[in-house]
Amino acid sequence: MPPELSNPKLQLAFALVIGALGTYLLLPKPKRRSIASGLFLLIAAVSILGLFVVQTFGKPIGEFIPDILFWLFSTGAIGFGTLQVVQRNPARGAIAFAFVILSSCGLFLLLAAPFLMAATIIIYAGAIIVTFLFVLMLSNVKGASNENDRSREPLLGSLAGFAFIGLILFTLLHAKPVEAASISGEFTELNLPAALLTSDDRSSLREVRIELDKALANDDAKAAAEGAKAAHDKLAEIIGGDGVSGQRKSVLERLRPLIGDPKKPMTHDPRLLAFTKQTLQLQKANHDLEGHLLSSADASDKQSLQKLRDEVTVYSGQGQLPARNVSNIGLLLYSEHLLAVEMAGTLLLVATIGAVAIAGRKKGVAV
Amino acid sequence: MISLSHFLVVGAVLFGLGLVGFLTRRNLITLFLCAELMLQGVVLNFLAFGRMHGSLNGQVFGLFIITVAACEAGLALALFLMLYRRGRSLDSGLWQTIHEQGIPPVVDVEPLPIYIPDVHPILPVAGRKPGVGPKAEEPSRA
Amino acid sequence: MLDPSTPIGMALIAAVLPLAGAVLAGLLACVRLGRFAHLPAILSFASASVISAVVLAGVAEGHDSLSISTDLGTWFSVGRLNVSFAFLLDPLSLIMLATVTFIATFIAVFSAGYMHGDPGYARYFSIMSLFVFAMCLLVMSNNFFMLLAGWEGVGLCSYLLVGYYYAKPSAAAAARKAFLVTRLGDVGLVLGIFLLWQVGGYETNFDAIFAHIAQYPPASGTITTICLLLFCGAIGKSAQLPLYVWLPDAMEGPTPVSALIHAATMVTAGVFLLARCAPLFVLSPEAGLIVACIGGATALLAGFLALAQNDLKRVLAYSTVSQLGFMFLALGCNGVISPKVAVVAAMFHLFTHAFFKALLFLGSGSVMHAMGNVIDMRKFGGLRKLMPWTHATFVIGSAALAGVPLLSGFWSKDQILHGLLEAGESHAKYHTMYFGLFAVALATACLTAFYTFRAYFLTFWGNERTPPEAHGHAHESPAIMLVPLVVLAAGALFVGVLVDPLTHWFGHFLERSPSITEAHTGYLAHSNMIEKPHEFSWFVAGLSTLAVAVGIGGATALYRRGGPEKVPPALKGLYSLSLNKLYVDETYGIAVVKPAEMLATTGRQFDGFLDAITRLITYLPRLIAALLRPLHNGLVQFYALGMVLGLAVFLTVVVFRSAR
Repeated sequence: MPPELSNPKLQLAFALVIGALGTYLLLPKPKRRSIASGLFLLIAAVSILGLFVVQTFGKPIGEFIPDILFWLFSTGAIGFGTLQVVQRNPARGAIAFAFVILSSCGLFLLLAAPFLMAATIIIYAGAIIVTFLFVLMLSNVKGASNENDRSREPLLGSLAGFAFIGLILFTLLHAKPVEAASISGEFTELNLPAALLTSDDRSSLREVRIELDKALANDDAKAAAEGAKAAHDKLAEIIGGDGVSGQRKSVLERLRPLIGDPKKPMTHDPRLLAFTKQTLQLQKANHDLEGHLLSSADASDKQSLQKLRDEVTVYSGQGQLPARNVSNIGLLLYSEHLLAVEMAGTLLLVATIGAVAIAGRKKGVAV
Repeated sequence: MISLSHFLVVGAVLFGLGLVGFLTRRNLITLFLCAELMLQGVVLNFLAFGRMHGSLNGQVFGLFIITVAACEAGLALALFLMLYRRGRSLDSGLWQTIHEQGIPPVVDVEPLPIYIPDVHPILPVAGRKPGVGPKAEEPSRA
Repeated sequence: MLDPSTPIGMALIAAVLPLAGAVLAGLLACVRLGRFAHLPAILSFASASVISAVVLAGVAEGHDSLSISTDLGTWFSVGRLNVSFAFLLDPLSLIMLATVTFIATFIAVFSAGYMHGDPGYARYFSIMSLFVFAMCLLVMSNNFFMLLAGWEGVGLCSYLLVGYYYAKPSAAAAARKAFLVTRLGDVGLVLGIFLLWQVGGYETNFDAIFAHIAQYPPASGTITTICLLLFCGAIGKSAQLPLYVWLPDAMEGPTPVSALIHAATMVTAGVFLLARCAPLFVLSPEAGLIVACIGGATALLAGFLALAQNDLKRVLAYSTVSQLGFMFLALGCNGVISPKVAVVAAMFHLFTHAFFKALLFLGSGSVMHAMGNVIDMRKFGGLRKLMPWTHATFVIGSAALAGVPLLSGFWSKDQILHGLLEAGESHAKYHTMYFGLFAVALATACLTAFYTFRAYFLTFWGNERTPPEAHGHAHESPAIMLVPLVVLAAGALFVGVLVDPLTHWFGHFLERSPSITEAHTGYLAHSNMIEKPHEFSWFVAGLSTLAVAVGIGGATALYRRGGPEKVPPALKGLYSLSLNKLYVDETYGIAVVKPAEMLATTGRQFDGFLDAITRLITYLPRLIAALLRPLHNGLVQFYALGMVLGLAVFLTVVVFRSAR
C-alpha cells in the first residue's frame, strides 16, 4: 500500500467524495443512470471506508462471532440504506428499508439492547406495511413519473449529505486519541461491568462458571462443595490475594506515572484528564468486584453458590442480558423518566387526533 | 475489538444516506422513509454511547425516538393523503406556492424517459393465431 | 392637606373652578348638550369671582405684609431642580385673581349671547374656561415653573381661541402668528428663569429666590441680564415693541375672545410677571430704563398706528398695545422711584384698563353683532339712535380710555404720569431720560384721546348707515349682551375713583404684597432716598387733562359729523403711514420671514441631496435582494438543502477550528 493511502484523513476524504459521486450517479434521473459505474464507486467508497475504520479504530479481532456479525449487519445496513435512497420504485425502497431495519436491529442486539431490537422490529414492521399500503394506494404509477424519476439537486444534495458524514467521522478521528488512550492495550473493551476485566480474565471467569455449573449440577453435597472450592481457588488465582490480579497490576504500574497524584488537580490536557478519570473508575470498580466475588465465594451452601454463579456469568461477559434488560428499562422508564413517558403518551394521543383531523374527509370540501 | 467508534461510523453513514435521500428524492413516501433512516442512525448512536457508559438511558432514549417516529409517521402519512387528494400526485415539487413573488415557478425541463412496458404474450382464444397483447398504456402523467 | 376654609384654600378653589368648568363644558358637548355649555363656564367664573371677592374682603384690612403660601407636593425633581406645586396668595395675586374672574364672568355672559347658535359653542366655552384657569394658575403660582405652566397654558388657549374659526385661512394664520411670536419671547423667559434659578441658590420659590439674591447679590450685569430675559417673555406676551405684531392680528378670533385677551387673561401676564419680579428690577436701573423706553416707544408707536385704522377692533387692539406700553413705562420707573408708586401705578392701570377695555371690546362686539359681522368703520356710522345702550356704554368706555378726568382711566394714567415725572426729578442714574418719557406719555395720552374718540364718532355719529350684511334690520343687542356692558361701564366709571384717589385702599393693599415690600427694601438700600408719600399733583393732572382735551377736541372737530373720513391733504403722508401700520409687517416680512424662507429652501435642497444619498444606499440591499430572491423558489426541499449546506459550512468551521 502506498504510504499516502495510509493517511486516515486522505482515506476519509477520498471515500466520501467517491461515495457522493456514486450516490449522485445512482440517484434517479430522467436520463439513463449509469448503474454500473455508480455501484462500482459506491463499493469502492465502502471499501475505503472499511479500510479507514480498520486502520483508525482497530481491527475487530478477538471474539470472532460478534465481529463477523458486526461487519455483516453494518454492511447490510449501509448497503440496503443506499439501495433505499437510490431506488426508483418506492415499494422496492420500502423493502430495502425493511432490510435496513433488520440489519440495524442486529446491531442493536450487538449493543446489548434486545428489547429495543424487538420493539423496533415490531413497530417498523407495522410502519412498513402501512407505507406499503400507501404506496399501493397512491403511487400506483406505471411508467415514468416526476416523483420517481427525478431528483431535486442530486449533486448538491449528495455532497451535502456526505459532507455531514465526513464531518462526523473527522470529529471521531480527532476524538480518537482520548478513547485510544483509555482503552489501549488490555483494556480495549466497552464499558460494561464485564469490560472492566481483561479478555484473559474473562476467559478464566468462564472456566470458573463451568466449574460452578458442574458443582451445581452435582446432587452430592460433598462433590458440590469440592467443585465450589475448586472454583473459589480459581477465582482467587484470577483476582489475586491483594485484590489485583498480576496482569492488571502490571498495567496499572505502567499507567501510574501518567496519572500522577490523583488528589492533585490535573493538567489542562483533556486527554490526560479523561484517561485519569477512567483509570480511577476502573480501580474502584475492580475493588468492588473483587470484594463482591470473594464474599460470595465464602458461602458454601447451594443458594449462595447459585448467586455466585450468576455474578460470574455476568462478569464473564455471558450474562442473562435479555431478561434483565427489559426489567431494567422498565424500572428506568417508570422511575427516572416518568414524566417523559407521560409526555410521549400524550404526544401519541395528540398525533392520533391530528392525523384523524388532517386526513378525515370534510363535508362539502371537494377533494 | 469492536469499539464505540465502529458503531458511530455506521450511525453516521446511515444518517448521511438518509439526509441525501431526504434532500434529493421527490416522492413523499420515499422522503418519509429517508427520514426514518436518519432516525435509525441516531438511535444507533444513542445505543452505542449508552453501552459505552454502561447505562440504559441510551436505550430509553431510543425508545422515545421510536415513539416520536411513530407520531411523525401518523401525521406525515395523513398529510400525504391530503396532498395526494389535492394534487393527485406524491411529487413534492408540486407544492411551491410559498415562493417569493415574481419568481418564476421551477419547471422540470428534461423530458421524462418513456418506459416501454414489458410485452407479455397472452393466450388467444383457441384456434386463433397468437398475437401480441393490448397496446402499452401511455403513462398517465407525462 | 389643604384646608378649604383658609384664604389660600378658597383662592385655590376659585382658581380650579374654571378647570372644572372647562371639563364640564367639554363633557356636555360629548352628551349632545353643547347648547348648555355656557352654564358651567359662567357659573364657575361667577363662583370663582365671588369666592375671590370674599377672600379679598377677608384680608382687605390690615397693615402687615400679607403672604400665604402652600405646597401641595412635588411636581418633579431633577437633580438640584425641585419643583413643587407651590401656590402663593398675596395682594398681587389676589387682585389679579379677582379681576380676571370678575371680568371673565361678564365676558362669558356676553359670549353666551354673542356666540349663540355657533356650531363650536361648547368648544368655545371649554377653551375659554381653560384659558381662565391657566391665567389663575399663572397668578397663583409661587414658583417660576408653575408660572411658566400657566404662561404656556395661556399661550395655548389663546392660540386655540384666536384660531377658533380654523376653517378661515386668515384666522389660522393669525393664530399661528400669535403662537410663534409669543414663543420668541418665551425663549428669553425660560432662559431667564433658569439663570435666575442658578443665581438664586437653586431655589424655585419666589420668596426664597428673592431672599437669596438679597443676601448674596450677584454681579449687576447678571441681574440686568436676568431682568432683560424675563422682560423678553413679557415683550412677547404683552405685545411690546418689537413683538407686538401678533396682537392686532389676534382680532380674527371671536370678539369676546379679544376682550378676554386684552382685558384679563393674556396680555396682562407680562405686566404681572414684572410686578412679581419687582425686587429684581429694583436692583438694575439699566433694565428699568430699557423697560421704560420700550414701553414708551410702544405706547407712542401704537398710539400713532391706531390713528388711521378703519377697523374698530384694530383701533382697540392698538390702544391695548399702547396702554400696555403705559404700564411698562410705570414698571420701568421701578427702582428709580419707590416700587410702592411704580408697581402700584402699573397694577392700577392694569386693573382699570381691564374694565374699560373689556367694555370697549364687548361694545364693539355688540356693534359687530348688529352689523352682520362687519367691523369696518367706513361701512357704517350714526348708530347712536339704533343702539342706545351700546352707544351709552361705549362712550363711557371711550372716555375712561381717553382719560377724561374723574373716570377710572384718568386716575391710573395720572399715577403713571406722576411716577414718570417723579422719576425724572429724582437723582437716579438716568433720571433725565424719564423727562423725555414723561413727554412721550403725555403725547400718547393725547393720541389716545384722539383715536378713541375718532373711532367713537365714526361709529356712532353722522348719518345712519348700515352695511348690506346687516340686511337692513340692525338692532340693539339682546339683554344678555347688554347686562355685561352696563356692569362693566359702571366699573369703568367708578372703580378708579372708588378704589384709589379717595381711599388709597388699592395702593395700601398692594403694598402689603411681599414682592413690593421686598422691592421697597431693596430700593431703600439701593438709592438711599427718603420715602416720599404719594400725593395727588395738580400739575400732572392739569397737564394730562389738557392733553386729553386737545385729543378729544381734535377728534370732535374732525369727525363729529361721522364718516366718511376726510383727511387734510397736509397730513396725507402721515395718514397713509399710520394706515399701513408703518409697514412694520412688511419690514418683518423682508427682514425675518424671507431669510427664513430662503434658509428653508436651501435646507430642503440639502435634504433632497441627503435623500438621494440615502436612496443610493437603499439600492444596495435591493441589489442583494434581487440576487438572493430566486433562492426563495417555494420548494421546501430546496430550503432544506440550503439549511443543510449552511449548517455544514458552519460545522466545518467549528470542527476544524477545534481540531487545530
